[in-house]
Parts: sequence; C-alpha cells; structure tokens
Amino acid sequence: MVGVLRRLLPRNYLFTILGIAVGVAGLVALGAMAERITRFIDGGDRFVLGQISVAGEGMGMGTGFTAGGLLRADRIEQIAHVPGVAAVQAQVMLPLNPTTSQFLTLTQELILGIDPAAPAPNRQLRELPVKRGRFLRTGDRGVVVVGSDFAATRKLAVGQRLELGSGRTFEVVGVLDKTLTAPDRFAIVPLEDARDLWLRRDPLLVQVFAGGSGAMSRRDLNTGAAVSWADGVDPDDLARRIQKSVSGVNVTIPGELSRVLRQSTAFFSALLFGIGVLGLVIGGASLSNTVTAAVFERIRDFGIKRALGATDLQLLREILTEALAVSVSGGAIGVVLALAIGFIVDARVLSDGQQLFLFSPRLLLFALVFSAILGGLAATYATLRIVRLSPAEAIRRGA
Amino acid sequence: MAPIRVRAVGLSKTFRGPDGGPVPVLDGVDAEVGAGEFVAVAGPSGCGKSTLLNLLGLLEPPDRGEVWLGDVCVSQLSRRAQCPVRGRSIGYVFQSFLLISSLTALDNVLLAARYVGRARSEALPAARALMERLGVAHRAGHYPSQLSGGEQQRVAYCRAVLNAPALVLADEPTGNLDEGHAAVILSELRGLCRDRGASVILVTHRADAAALADRTLSLRAGRLEPRGGGTT
Repeated sequence: MVGVLRRLLPRNYLFTILGIAVGVAGLVALGAMAERITRFIDGGDRFVLGQISVAGEGMGMGTGFTAGGLLRADRIEQIAHVPGVAAVQAQVMLPLNPTTSQFLTLTQELILGIDPAAPAPNRQLRELPVKRGRFLRTGDRGVVVVGSDFAATRKLAVGQRLELGSGRTFEVVGVLDKTLTAPDRFAIVPLEDARDLWLRRDPLLVQVFAGGSGAMSRRDLNTGAAVSWADGVDPDDLARRIQKSVSGVNVTIPGELSRVLRQSTAFFSALLFGIGVLGLVIGGASLSNTVTAAVFERIRDFGIKRALGATDLQLLREILTEALAVSVSGGAIGVVLALAIGFIVDARVLSDGQQLFLFSPRLLLFALVFSAILGGLAATYATLRIVRLSPAEAIRRGA
Repeated sequence: MAPIRVRAVGLSKTFRGPDGGPVPVLDGVDAEVGAGEFVAVAGPSGCGKSTLLNLLGLLEPPDRGEVWLGDVCVSQLSRRAQCPVRGRSIGYVFQSFLLISSLTALDNVLLAARYVGRARSEALPAARALMERLGVAHRAGHYPSQLSGGEQQRVAYCRAVLNAPALVLADEPTGNLDEGHAAVILSELRGLCRDRGASVILVTHRADAAALADRTLSLRAGRLEPRGGGTT
C-alpha cells in the first residue's frame, strides 16, 4: 500500500493530503452528528409506529409513551378481545427521577415494568438487543436489564446491584446494546417489581390499597399497555376501534403520534439538513480547492512534460491518477481523523449518557467516494485549464 | 534518428505587455540549420533568442511563419500531432535545468522515454549509460535539490538526448555553470553533431561557446542577421 502510494504520489503532496484530510474530517464529523440525530428521530418514530400505546382515562403518570390514568386489568382484557389485536402487554412506566426538571426532558430515564411471559408487542422492535448478560425471564424478581446509556453513566456491569428508588435494590442481569433511541435510557424490571416501586413512591395509591376497598387489585396497577396488531391490520384503524369499543381508555394512534413526533422534531430535521449542506460545502470546497491548487502548483512540471512529448490525454491520465490517489488518501486519513475526534469526544460525553457522533458505514463510504469524485473533477478542471497553455507558457507561469 | 534539416520561415511572435499592449519579439525570422550543423544564436538580452528557440522547438506557436523539420511543416501540425515530434525529434536543454523536483535524477532522465512510448526497461540501460558517461550515475537516486548545478545540468542533458533527437535546442545551458561543467556540456553538444549528425542550436552569451559553433546567427530587434563568423 505504502509502495503503491509512493509510486503514485509525488513527494511534495504531503500537505495536499493533509489539507484534504482536514476538509474530509470536517465533512465526516458533521455528517456523523447528523447521522446521530437522524437515528434518534427515526428510532423514536419506528418505536411509536411499532405499537399502539393505551393508557387509562385521566392524567396519571404522564410518562414515557402513554399519557393517562391507571389502566385496569379488565380494560386490558377487553382490549385483547378487540378484533385485529394480536397481543397486549401490560406495562408500568415510571420516571427514575420524578422531579419536574427531569420530567420534561427528551432524555428522561425510565423504569419500565413488563411481563416477560407476554409476547413482545412492538412490531418494529421484537427483541431488545442484549449486549451482555440476558434479558428478563418468566418468574424473575428483583432483577433489572439496563439500557446502554443507563449502564454507561453508572458504569454498571452484569452482577452489580442497582438502587431504583425507595431503597429497593436490583441485580443487573443484562445490559442492552445501543439502540440510539429510548430504550438506551431504560431500566427494565419485572412487572410486579415495577408495581412495588410505584406503590412505594405514591402515597395516594398506598392509601387506596390500605383502605381495602376491594375495588382495585395489584393487577390493576398499570400505567398503560402496548398493543400489537395481527398481520394485515391497519394499526391506525385498530387504534380507533379500541378507543371506540373499550370505554375509559386513552389510545394513541401510531400514525398521528408519528406525525406529532415529526412536527416536534422538525427543528432538528432542519438543523440536520443544514449541518449536512454545511459539511458538504465546507468539505467539498476545501477538497476541490486543495486539489486544484496542488495541480496548478505543478504547472511548471506539466509544461516540462509537454515539452518532452506528453499528450493532453497522457497528462490528464497522470494528473487524474495522482489526484485520485491524493484525494482517496486524504479522504481515508480524514475519516480516521474524524473517527478519532468522535471517539475522544464521545468517550468524554458518554459519562453524561450522551453520544454525539454516529459513524455509519454509509457515511464513511460516502466520504471516500465524495473525495474521489470531487478530487477527480477538480483535477480534470485544473488539467483542462493547463493543457490550453503552450508548454513554454506553462513553464513561464510555474517559474 | 536520421539527421534532419531545420528551417524557420518568416517567424513572428508578439507578446502582450503588462499594460496589455503588444510587445513584438520576433519579426519575420528566416533561418536554416543543416543536418549535423552546430549553430549558435547570439544577441543582447531580450532580443528574442529564447523565443526563437521555443518556436523552433514547438514549445509555443508562432503568430506568423512556419517551422520545418525536414520536409514536414511541424508548426502547422495539430497540437496532438506535435507531441510525438517534440518527444522523438527534439531535445531541450534549458538554462534553469527544468528538472522535476519530485523525481529522482534517473526518473527525470527516463521521463523522456515515457511520453514516446518507450518501455522503462528498454530505456533504462541507455539512461544509465548516459549518466555514467556524464559522471552523474552515482547520483541516480538523488532528487534535484540534492544535486549541484553542474550535476543538474548534466542530468537535464541526459534527458534531452535520451531519445537521440535529430534536433537539440540548448538555451544558455552553461549560464549557471562554472567553467569546468560548462566545458563538459559544450563538448557533449559538439559531439552530438560530430558523432550522431544531430543539429544543435545553442543560445549563448559566451564567446567561447559561440566559437565552438559552425556558425553564429545574430539576433537584433527581433530579426536575424547572419554573421558567418563561426568556426568549424
């Protein structure tokens, strides 16, 4: 590789390569930030489009993907019988930190209680990817599976114990792989454990149960349910059918929720577009300017070569080969530079549960192809300008 | 390459000055250099000696007039057709050497072979032999910046004659050299005519260099005045 580059590249191309590398590094870094935001928005969108979320009537906890009051067990039964429903999973979703300042953030950490025996309801996320350890099993109690950011911010490993409020500790049995969306900040516990945590936190609920009214049982302690639909069923139609046929429930319609999410993230989408355009303009201008300048700097050499009998085509082929080698080398170094910057910055912000960059294969491939194409075009432009000159004029200008 | 006669017919060239106005440099120059003849071109600075050489060597087009190599009017050929003429029939030795800084001495010499379709392996023995004869073989792997002026000019000379051109144009080739190195280059140029029948046109200010030529052409105000004062 080094030998090939040595043969292809004149000695004094080092600074050209470094110039291109800086431009491409900027392009890749900006692109990686844009990719990260895209994945976050798309991830949330896919999640809400993969299930119908149902809550009880009223205000309730207002957390996570449901917004409503208690969803009692009999309502869940009724939902399960609505034609088109494939599965219903009762859930308890609690904020880890119930202060109002945490409540309203996009990066809120959540405790999610689920029944592992129930079929996974989200059609887009059938199985949460486990990186270390295992996922919840039927019959588990006192254990927790944590999302990747949740684990990273607390340096959690499988086997450690974790306090999830009210003095209750859980054994970490699994750490999820990064999804770049909501589950990265989840602590997933068995449904019964989540109900315990809820009861310990909410004095009103404790009073209701202590009163022994008999109107409610532990099975009624659900903040919501995730509903999956049978194949061929339109989820939005089904959501409306559930709303109509089951009384006392709040149903989110996936299509509408997706639209709302998209509207609320419209600013980020615009920002993302701006970042992408900025990256292309800065990276592209830097690269093409560097390659063009490098070719013009060697105008005297091309004059000499033409004096020795080089044809326009021979010169163009020679310059293009050099330009491609320079551009791709610069592009590759730029990619490595951007990766290094990204990893250093991400390592620093990861302790806050954040990840700024997402270096997807398509982005890296695009950067290399972009470098090669733009480098080739810039070199072609410069060559066509140079070959119009007579050899003597080229030598004079390069002197 | 077979010996060849060179003719300039009514060559004129005008450049544009800094103010955009015309600066006539050559005005209807007629000249002829026979096959195997060594001709010196003399004249004051700025009289158009280098321009004449550039026109004869197809390094730039004349505004008017023609350049003939043998029976071919090469100045009328297309840009593309002129390339092999430059590569095979004409060799250039410049005052400022004009070596490519990113190539080694050997690669600079071999560059002459590249553009005329000679394989590197075929041209390599000739290049090494030339460098050996000129005393720069031990510098083959060095870059121009690592060579002295005399060494650079000898490398440039090797490049100019690698393809055994019928016409060698030397523009003040000894201008930046000391006496010893200048003598080597002039002797080589003389030898080209004597041994290989090449035509050599030498632009020089040096009387001793001009004295080596078969005849000297004097250029004044863009016109050539045959002086006939050369020696054989």
